[in-house]
Amino acid sequence: MTTLDTPRPPADEAPAPIAGKTPAWLLQGEMAMCPCGCIGKRKKGSFVEKTLDGSAGLLRQVMFGEDIAERPGLLQRIDPRAKLLSLIILLIAAAVVRNIVVLLVAYAFTLVVAYFSAVPVGFFIKRVWLFVPIFTGIVVLPATLSFITPGEIVIPLWTWQGQPVGITSQGLTAAGLIVSRVALSISLVVLLTLTTPWVELLAALRSLGVPKMFVLIVGMAYRYIFLLLGSVTDMYESRRARTVGAVKHDKAAREFVSSTAGALLGKSHALSEEVHQAMIARGFRGDVKALKTFAFTRADAFYMLVVVIAAAVIVLGDQQLGR
Amino acid sequence: MHIPDGYLSPATCIAGYAVAVPMIIIASKKVQETVKVRNVPTLAVLAAVAFLIMMFNVPIPDGTTAHAVGAVLIAILLGPWAAVIAVSVALLFQALLFGDGGVLVYGVNVTNMAIIMPFVGYAIYKLIAGDSHLTSPRRVVAAGVAGYVGLNVAALATAIELGIQPDLFHTADGTPLYAPYHLAQTIPAMMLAHLVVAGFVEGIICAGTVAYLQRANLPLLQVNHKDVPLTEAEAALRVKKRISPWLVGGIAVGIMVLLTPLGLLAPGGAFGEDAPDELPLGDLGLNAVPEGMARLNGFWNSAVLNGYDFGGDAPVLGYLISAVVGILIVGGFVVVLVWGINKVARKPAATDPSNTDDAAHADDAGSRTG
Repeated sequence: MTTLDTPRPPADEAPAPIAGKTPAWLLQGEMAMCPCGCIGKRKKGSFVEKTLDGSAGLLRQVMFGEDIAERPGLLQRIDPRAKLLSLIILLIAAAVVRNIVVLLVAYAFTLVVAYFSAVPVGFFIKRVWLFVPIFTGIVVLPATLSFITPGEIVIPLWTWQGQPVGITSQGLTAAGLIVSRVALSISLVVLLTLTTPWVELLAALRSLGVPKMFVLIVGMAYRYIFLLLGSVTDMYESRRARTVGAVKHDKAAREFVSSTAGALLGKSHALSEEVHQAMIARGFRGDVKALKTFAFTRADAFYMLVVVIAAAVIVLGDQQLGR
Repeated sequence: MHIPDGYLSPATCIAGYAVAVPMIIIASKKVQETVKVRNVPTLAVLAAVAFLIMMFNVPIPDGTTAHAVGAVLIAILLGPWAAVIAVSVALLFQALLFGDGGVLVYGVNVTNMAIIMPFVGYAIYKLIAGDSHLTSPRRVVAAGVAGYVGLNVAALATAIELGIQPDLFHTADGTPLYAPYHLAQTIPAMMLAHLVVAGFVEGIICAGTVAYLQRANLPLLQVNHKDVPLTEAEAALRVKKRISPWLVGGIAVGIMVLLTPLGLLAPGGAFGEDAPDELPLGDLGLNAVPEGMARLNGFWNSAVLNGYDFGGDAPVLGYLISAVVGILIVGGFVVVLVWGINKVARKPAATDPSNTDDAAHADDAGSRTG
């Protein structure tokens, strides 16, 4: 991840939101695109460009996250185990809440915490709400109609076979519930991942009982993503270099993509053999030791206490208010 | 297909983890047996590849692109258990690093994309590839169909998980607490996109990669195809193995058994199958239950498990026990019937390999029961 062979020319848009070690050109572009394509905006562009953009976006996100994780801030000072545990507690609390107001208040609190954790609030809001309207908002919209969520019609729209059709109060509540809950959940996860270096997050997973082997695999996989990403970028860059004119989306293009996947699998297979030999040569016997040990400080205990109280307030407040 | 947090109830999330965690543990044991200490680097690199394959933009004819999941491809190349680990790790990255797919619903996402998808795809691949040689075009077709079917079954599972939410979790006035769409809406919505576009993308990646490896990297293809003959000539030398009709029948029944709980969710009955009173008389233009129907209903009232129930305090348990008893009785009846047919219609000395499949199958079945 330390080198990138083909830097893009700096874009002449506004400067990056934060000045860290991340190059400015990496910080531009869309955030929170779903790598599976199911929620992403489908802009027209050749598959080569898009894959290259995707890999640059991946690096951008990772470097940006590591940047923020190293800044001085509220959440950065907390033990990663405490953060991970509190994430799970708060996510469960968010999942059982049935009141929109409670969810929105909790969401406002995440903004405050983000501000004190050196996370640019504008970016933080954008990151969450770029995702929520694209996927959740549009998907949930038809569910407000009485076709899908029957109930008390508050905005009648038309009649169909003698039955009035319209937006029901139940539908509106359901849509509001799901949108605010998804926004809160994503905010919580983004807060954790932006303020915690990945290595520490892994160590926290380990100390919370995830098997050692699984954590080791995840940690190594994380490293090789960037090595193999270099191979992928090389293959696509050279494809672009060989192409004269517009890239066509034809059979040859699809053959290229699957051949790339095949070549990548071949390379990774050879790589895993070499890594294995290197590990054996260095004395790997199947046992793993962690270099870093965490110290659970008083501040962490206090933080956990605050989180538990917050979760209790969310759940109890929800029960008090009702729906 | 990545479900974010907030769409599923906590109960569904727990169910997802209840499936995913044991499967991941079994998978790591299975993989450990096959690749020994090598498993750590192999699985790590594989997980990285699984993550990157999900990033590939596959060009589709309308000028746009779509993404593949790659679970079936890894299952074909290194076995379904390796695919479970690799895709689970890739999903963990997506959930924790990129906020794609939730943390609480991680177990459900793993169940759909890292368990259901590779196993279904791999089964289809094995079924279609049969005993063809490693370089045959049939394996390319098999990989393509496996990718298509695997992705669509995973999408169907996702649709079911989302679709049961409003029926199971709602407030007193009918406001859905989680995902608001019913099965009747989620299944068509998910399946349309996946049957028409995403399934083909997955199939193209699977078929294309297998075709590429056939001409460029046979050793990699041989990792999970150890005893498969390389060429047609080599295949001709081997003795052919047939799929046992017992196995196929058993799998089909097994799938139906797993689907039985869906019956608990179905509202009402078609054509008043439970009782004539449930007939929607008004819709049918009738004034009363037809006379013959009323007379013959109740003709047989002494069934042992009447209404799939013991009349006890636990109707669901009674329903499930009735299901098991029913399966055993019907299964036993079929076995006896087949055995009897074989006894009556047994052909003398059917050992010639040039026999038709039917005769061989009947013989096979007969020799096991008789």
